[in-house]
Formats: sequence, C-alpha cells, structure tokens
Amino acid sequence: MPSLELLATCTPPCNTRTWLSAPHPHLPIIATACSDKTVRVYSLQNFQQQSTISGGHKRSIRSCAWKPNSKGESVLATGSFDASAGIWRRWEEGGGVRKPAEIDFTTGLAGGDGEEDEEDEWRFAVILDGHDSEIKSLAFAPTAPLLATCSRDKSVWIWEELEDDNFETVAVLQDHEGDVKCVAWHPKEELLASGSYDDNIRLWREDVDDWACCALLTGHEGTVWWVEFEDANNIYALGSSEDLNDTQKDYVDTRLKAGPRLISCSDDMTIRTWRHVPKDKPELPAGQIKTTSIWKNRDFEEEWVEEARLPQVHERPVYCVSWSRKTGRVASTGSDGKIVVYEERWRSTPDTKSNDASGDVQMAGGAPGPDMEDITAKKLSGSDGHKGGVTEWVVVAEAENTHDVFEVNHVIWAPRADKGKRFEDEEVLISTGDDGEVKVWTFDT
Amino acid sequence: MDLDKDNANPTILNPSDLPSRRAVNPSHKPSSDGGSGLFDGLVTDFSAYHDPFAPPSASSDSEDEDVEEIDEQEVFDLISTISDPEHPLSLGSLAVVSLPDIEIVPPRSPKSRISTVRVLVTPTITHCSLATVIGLGVRVRLEQSLPPRFRVDVRIKEGTHSTGDAVNKQLGDKERVAAAMENGTLVGVIRKMLSTCQ
Repeated sequence: MPSLELLATCTPPCNTRTWLSAPHPHLPIIATACSDKTVRVYSLQNFQQQSTISGGHKRSIRSCAWKPNSKGESVLATGSFDASAGIWRRWEEGGGVRKPAEIDFTTGLAGGDGEEDEEDEWRFAVILDGHDSEIKSLAFAPTAPLLATCSRDKSVWIWEELEDDNFETVAVLQDHEGDVKCVAWHPKEELLASGSYDDNIRLWREDVDDWACCALLTGHEGTVWWVEFEDANNIYALGSSEDLNDTQKDYVDTRLKAGPRLISCSDDMTIRTWRHVPKDKPELPAGQIKTTSIWKNRDFEEEWVEEARLPQVHERPVYCVSWSRKTGRVASTGSDGKIVVYEERWRSTPDTKSNDASGDVQMAGGAPGPDMEDITAKKLSGSDGHKGGVTEWVVVAEAENTHDVFEVNHVIWAPRADKGKRFEDEEVLISTGDDGEVKVWTFDT
Repeated sequence: MDLDKDNANPTILNPSDLPSRRAVNPSHKPSSDGGSGLFDGLVTDFSAYHDPFAPPSASSDSEDEDVEEIDEQEVFDLISTISDPEHPLSLGSLAVVSLPDIEIVPPRSPKSRISTVRVLVTPTITHCSLATVIGLGVRVRLEQSLPPRFRVDVRIKEGTHSTGDAVNKQLGDKERVAAAMENGTLVGVIRKMLSTCQ
C-alpha cells in the first residue's frame, strides 16, 4: 500500500496562518503566501528559508503565482486581502537556469554566503489596483502574457502585460454571483476557469474582441474552493494504449478530442472532474433530448459535463486539489487536516459490454442526476454520447493530522530536489497549513 | 455601521435563571487562555494559537489538552457573556445563545483528534441586521478560547432568521472570517462585544 511520508518541514515556520505555496517554474524553490503580509521563499533542496518578500501589502497575502517562462529573472505576483496585487522581481543566480541536482548545499544556500545576500533582493515592480475587495487568487497564463486575478467583489480581472511592468486591464468579468475564490488557466489554450462562493464554476474565453463566459458548470452544493486543469498529456497516465478493449479505446478517443479535464473541490466535501464535450460530434444517442440551455445558440459556448466524482474521504470542506502533471495522480486537502492521494484506473469489470448497456438505459431515461452515494458507478454522459465510468478513481494513500490539529489550506505536487531524490521525475507533495508550517511529503509506492 | 436598534424591547432572562455550574465548581475558569491575550489575536489573525518556539511534537495539542475535557456548559460560559452589539445585555440573557443549542461532536475516528463545536444562534428578531456580527463574535470568541483541535461551526437556528442561509454561509467561510478580522471597523465592534467576557 503506498503511503505519504513526511520528508521535511520548512524552517523557520511562519508564526501565523499560511495560505498557499507555489513551486517556481524551474528553480527548486517555493513561495509561501502568509497572513503576516509576507511571502517566504523556501528551498526545496534543504528546506531552509531563502528570502522574504515584505513591505508591500497592508493585509494578509492570500495567494502568489510565478510567471512562467521567465528567463534569468524570477517574477512573482502576490494577491492580498488589501485588494491589490503586486508584481515582484529578482535576478536569478548567474542570470540563467541552474542545475538543481548539482548544487552542493552543504556549504550554504545555493552556492555560498556572499551571493546569498546579493541574491536576497526582491524588487517591487508594480502594483495592480482595481478590485474593490480582497483578492483571493491569481494566475499567469502559460500560453500568453496574461494574468488573472479574482476577488470577493465577485469579479475576475484579466491583465495583459504589454511590456515589462506595464499591465493593462483587458477584461473585468462579473458573471459570478458571489466571491470568486480561485482562477486557473488551461495548459494549452487561452481558457480560464474560476470557482466561486456562488457554488458554480465558469469558463472564460476571448470571443472576437471581448472576454466572456463560455461555460457554466453547476453541481457543487457549496463554495468551490479550487479548480485546476490536468496536463494535456494526462491520458497517458492510464498506461499503454495496447491491449485496450473497444470501450476503452473509444474512451481514449473521447479524451483526446476533449482535451484536458478540469478538477474542482468544494465546501460540499466533494471533488469532481469535468470534461469538455466538443461540438463537432453531434452523435446524439437516440431518444436523448438535448437539454435546453441558454448557451445553445452561440458557437462560442461550450458544453462541459461532470465526468466523475472522486471517492469522498474528507469529512470537512476540501480546500485544495492538485493534479500531478507527471503521474496524473490527484492530491487533496482541507479543513479535516487530511491529505489524500487518488489514482485513475481502468474500471475492472468482468464484462464491460453489459456495463455499457446499463449506461445506455440510464441515458434513455433522461438526464441521470449525480448520486451522492455511488457516483463512481454512474455513467455521466455528454451530448457526444460518450460516458465517464470507463475509468475509476481510487484512494491510494491517506495521511491524517498532517499539520497537527490544524486545517490545511493548500497542497501541490512539485519536483523533488533534495539529495534523497530516488528517481528522475520524482515528485513531492507540499502542504501549507493554519499552523504556519509548510511540509514536504514523499509518495512511496 | 447602523446601530439603530432592530429590536428595542427584547425579552431578557434573569441571570440567575441561566444555566451555570459555578455554585458547584466555583474555581472553574471559563477561558483557557486567560483574558490578556484575547484581543491581540483579533488583530493578528489567531496568532495566539501558535508558539513558534514550542517543540514541534508538543505543539498546541499536548497530552494535558487531551485530558482536559470541554463540555457544553463550558462553551456556554465562554459565549453567554458576550455583549449584544445593540443592547447593553449579554447573549445569554437575551437567549441568543442557550445551552441546549450547543453540541460537541467528538472525533469521527480513533485516529482523528479533531472535535467539532456546533453552536446555534437565535437572533432576537427574524430580520436582525446584526445576526452576522453576533455569529462572528461567537466564532471568534470560541476560536480564541478553545484549543485548536476544535472546529467551530456557528449557525443561525433554523427558522429564526429571514436570511439564515446566507448568514450561515458567511460564518462558515474561513477566508471571509479571516478577512473580516483584518477589517478595523469590524474588529472594533467584535472587541466591544467581547469586552464583557471574563
């Protein structure tokens, strides 16, 4: 049975609540957003604090995000309860990418004490004002110079970086009816997802000249605390495409057409995955009446269906999920202090065909409502007729009281960078809690 | 904040009618962390919970704490003395909080150490505009006074408030509560409400 083992606790800890830790896009460091108005940067090689960002925000820093593809200079965005976002810059050592595995950290942090001071200089670059109240989350787009921020003011803002430190507001999206708790970008497209206090998820794209909502994902029965897309290559986490039966091949085909799925977690204690149903395959099964939708008349609008519900292990609100880009595993955490790891597998049924038939019967009976008791056995269908339920999610590891008796606000997969690294592409889990601690866990299979 | 009284003539209970065990146990102390640190935590966002210099293994949930039982009466004692934001009266004497509406739920499994305290608040009138503030005061009071192994769920008693669900959602949202505790005006109101607690 795989297990989660504590590898290290980053030191020194923050003495108040910590909200979130973001791994750097290529350096072995993480940035932790703290309620003491600072960001602490810890090394993933020796788990010591490397630098601190302070003095910019008047209230708690709720979230932070690294700019992807930065070369020679690290760029961090911070979102605060003071309603502003900050952009911070720091030169990277040697002005370029370093090789984490070869740095000998026994002599000091990242190559000696002298450089450390020099390196420890975060420069405040620009402040982004506009939100009316607390910023909850922010994210840089991986495919374009765009930054998304969201707030208790119910809006999502999209900022375009025209040149260094010149950010222009390109959209203010106000369709949510409550605080917007989280934003996440699609890995390959300029598609943004947001989760809200109104219990809904919305997807946003640029339509001709304006950004607009292209999909509304309903179903959660509580605040949506976190959304995240999977990696574009996650389909391969299911293993080789050889030896698949027809149903499985069909499903692989569906997934490849649909692209990355979205995962969400909520105050309702559930974790759900959502899949795009591309329009160009109007293979409506006989007898199924397409549900009326306010979106139906516009090509711009997209259909997304709830594909699966992960086994419900959490006993309190789930605050965060992280979908590994390397292994396709999902980790979750929340108010109950547990960290749970899930894996997606082909559902092992002796006769896939008969299972399939029962799914068709359900579909013919109208839109089957998701069942809280046994969702994994249900088949949710999109208008393309393809179903979930070909795969199943299983719990592969679970740890309790991960931050003593405190709530855990965030968990995320990151590349392992310490000397104990056992294999190429090994990942660790990083958890961030109300006790002010950032902990690093190995997943032992 | 509008302090016009929503309910100018509330029903008031005689203090001697309120549930108490002080006669039985006069040395009983309702607050486990004393009065002095109470308001510090309001401003610094619950930092009072965590002692950075404590050894990690013993942090905040020592053996002693596990032994120390906390019952509904003790929770009642902690919150009944909170002042109503619009009357010079305690939540206990206004029957906004009452002993039967407090429930302590033990850990769900033997491995878990997390208990839950559920408090139902009964506003004096169904359209009381200060229900959220009262609920927040109760939540803050308990989060500051109880050991961190307790999760505090404060809700409006069903059917006693016109917008109960909305108020409940706010009170259950840790992010909103954390942000509220960085809002100077609100902190001032809560501090005043808690100033009558021992």
